[in-house]
Amino acid sequence: MNDMSVIQKPVLNKDLRRQIVDMVVAGKDGHIPSAFSILDIITHLYAKVLKFDAKKPLWDARDYFILSKGHGCLALYVNLHRHGFVTDHDVEMFCRFGGILGEHPDMTKVPGAEASTGSLGHGLPFAIGIALGHRIQGKDNRFFVVVGDGECHEGTIWESANLARNLELGNLCVAVDWNQSAMQLLPYDDMPAKWKAFGWNVIVIDGHDADELNKAFKSVTFAAKGIPTVVVAKTVKGKGVPLIEGHGKWHHRIPNTEEYAEIMGVL
Amino acid sequence: MAAASGPSVRQQFADTMLAVGQEDPSLVVVVGDISHGIMQAFAQACPGRYYNAGILEPTMMSMCAGLARSGLNPVVHTIAPFLIDRSFEQIKLDFCYHKLHGNIVTVGSAFDYSNLGVTHHCYGDFAMLKTLPDIEITYPASLVEFDALFRQAYNNKSVTYYRIPGRIHGVDFKASDIKLGKGIKVADGKDVTLIATGPQLNTALQAREKLANAGKDAEVLYIHTIRPLDEELVRASVLKTRKVVVIEEHMRSGGLGDDVLRAVQGISDLKFQSVAIPDKFITAYGSYDELLGVAGITVEAVVSGAL
Repeated sequence: MNDMSVIQKPVLNKDLRRQIVDMVVAGKDGHIPSAFSILDIITHLYAKVLKFDAKKPLWDARDYFILSKGHGCLALYVNLHRHGFVTDHDVEMFCRFGGILGEHPDMTKVPGAEASTGSLGHGLPFAIGIALGHRIQGKDNRFFVVVGDGECHEGTIWESANLARNLELGNLCVAVDWNQSAMQLLPYDDMPAKWKAFGWNVIVIDGHDADELNKAFKSVTFAAKGIPTVVVAKTVKGKGVPLIEGHGKWHHRIPNTEEYAEIMGVL
Repeated sequence: MAAASGPSVRQQFADTMLAVGQEDPSLVVVVGDISHGIMQAFAQACPGRYYNAGILEPTMMSMCAGLARSGLNPVVHTIAPFLIDRSFEQIKLDFCYHKLHGNIVTVGSAFDYSNLGVTHHCYGDFAMLKTLPDIEITYPASLVEFDALFRQAYNNKSVTYYRIPGRIHGVDFKASDIKLGKGIKVADGKDVTLIATGPQLNTALQAREKLANAGKDAEVLYIHTIRPLDEELVRASVLKTRKVVVIEEHMRSGGLGDDVLRAVQGISDLKFQSVAIPDKFITAYGSYDELLGVAGITVEAVVSGAL
C-alpha cells in the first residue's frame, strides 16, 4: 500500500461525512478532519463487528467501543445516531445549550458512549480496567478502543500497552488512527514497531478500505486470555474532501458558505 | 518511614482486605509495587483479584476506574505522591467525572518518608482532592478506624481516600465510635477547642495536659473524616470556647484548618490558629519527628496557639 493508492480508492460513508459537516455548521463547532480520519473504522465496527442493543445501551453482553481520541467524537455520534442510540433532536442540538452531544463524548449523558474522553491517554487504560473486570467476573465481552497517533505521545498509552500485554488481555483490540498528525511534531514514528516491541499482535491496514477493515477485525480471536491486538490503520486526516485533507487550518475550523458548498459538492 | 514499632495501620489495611475480600467477591486490590508482601494473604485467599500492576500509577488509576465500571469494587494503593499528585487527572476524570466508585489507599503522605525528600512527600493531598465533587477523604490513624471506615465506605457510590499514616495516635476507640463523616469529642473543655486529625491527636492531648497546668481547659476533637467534615461538632464546640487551634500534617492552604474556618464563620469574638505544614517544600532530612519540628508542628506550638 502507498499513499497514492489510499487517495485513489473510493471514499466510503459519504452520507455520514455530509452529516458531520452539517452538524459542525449548525453547531458552529467541531473537528471535521479528525472525525473523517476515523469515520470508516468506527462505521465498520458498528455495522459489521460490534454486538449491541441500542434500546439497552447497558446490555450486559455487549461489546464495548471506547473512543479514546475524544475529539473525533462526530464519527462516533453519527454512528450512534444511525443505530438508534441518540435521536434526531440530539444531533440537532450538537454543541448547543441543553444538548447532550458536545465536542467530546460524555458517558454520563450519551447513550452508547462508554467513556468520557477528551483529555488524551485516558480511554485505553480505562478500557483495560473494564476488560480485566469482565474477565475477573468470567464474562466474554469484547473491547475495542480507537486511539489517535498524536494521542500515542501520551505516556499512559505505552503504560497501557505494557500492562495489557502482561495481563494477557486477549479480549482487547486497539485501532490506532495513524494519520501522521503525530509525525508533524515527532517525525520518528514507526507505529507498528512500537506496538510490536510491547508484544502485541500488530495488523497494518488502510483505514479507509472496506476489505482491509473487514479482514483485520475478522482475524482477531478475542481470547479471554491471550495477546491483545492492535490494528494500525493508515488514515488521512479529513479523508474524502481535498479542501480539508491534511494537517493545516482545518483541524478545528467551521466551513463558511463557499467552503460548505465546495465540501458538499465533493461529497 | 515514621512507622513506630508495634501495630500499623498499613498491616491493618492488609488484614481488612483479606477479611472483606473473603466476604465480598467484588473486592479487587491493585498495588503499584508497594505493600506487595503483606498483600500475599489476600492474593492467595482471593485468586484473580490481586494485581501488582507495576510502576505506572496514572494507568493503574484509570484501570481501577474501569474495574469499577465493570461492577467491581476496586482498591488502588501505592505511595501518596504518585497516587494523588501524579494521578490526579485520572482520579478527576476517570473516577469522579464518570461518577464511579472506588477506594484510594495511600501510605507515605505528608513527610512519612522523611529522608526520601520532596519527591516522596505529599502534603497537599487534602487540598487537591477537595476540588473533586463527592469525594470522601479519610485519615484513619488507628487500626480500628481503618477497618471501620473501610467497611462503611468501600462499596458506596463515592471515591473514598484513605490516607494511612506511618504512626498511630495511640487512642483506643471502639469500632462503634467510628462513623464516616462524624468527628469524635475525645475530651471535654470550655476554654479552647483543639481539633486534630491523624497522628496529631497525640500532640493535641499532650498540649491539653500542658494547658491544664496553665489553668486552661481544652476540649479536644478528633477528625478522621476530612470530607464530609462534621461541621456540627466543630461549630458546637467553638461556639462554646470561641478559640480554636487546628493541628494537621497538611499544608496550611487547603487543609482541615480552612474547612474549620468555613464551619465557624460568623461566630463572634473568635480566635483561630493553624498548626500545619507551612506553604513551602520541606527540604530538610532527618526523622519524621525532626521534620515535624521543621514544619512547626509541636506541642509547644499548639499550647502557644491556645493561650
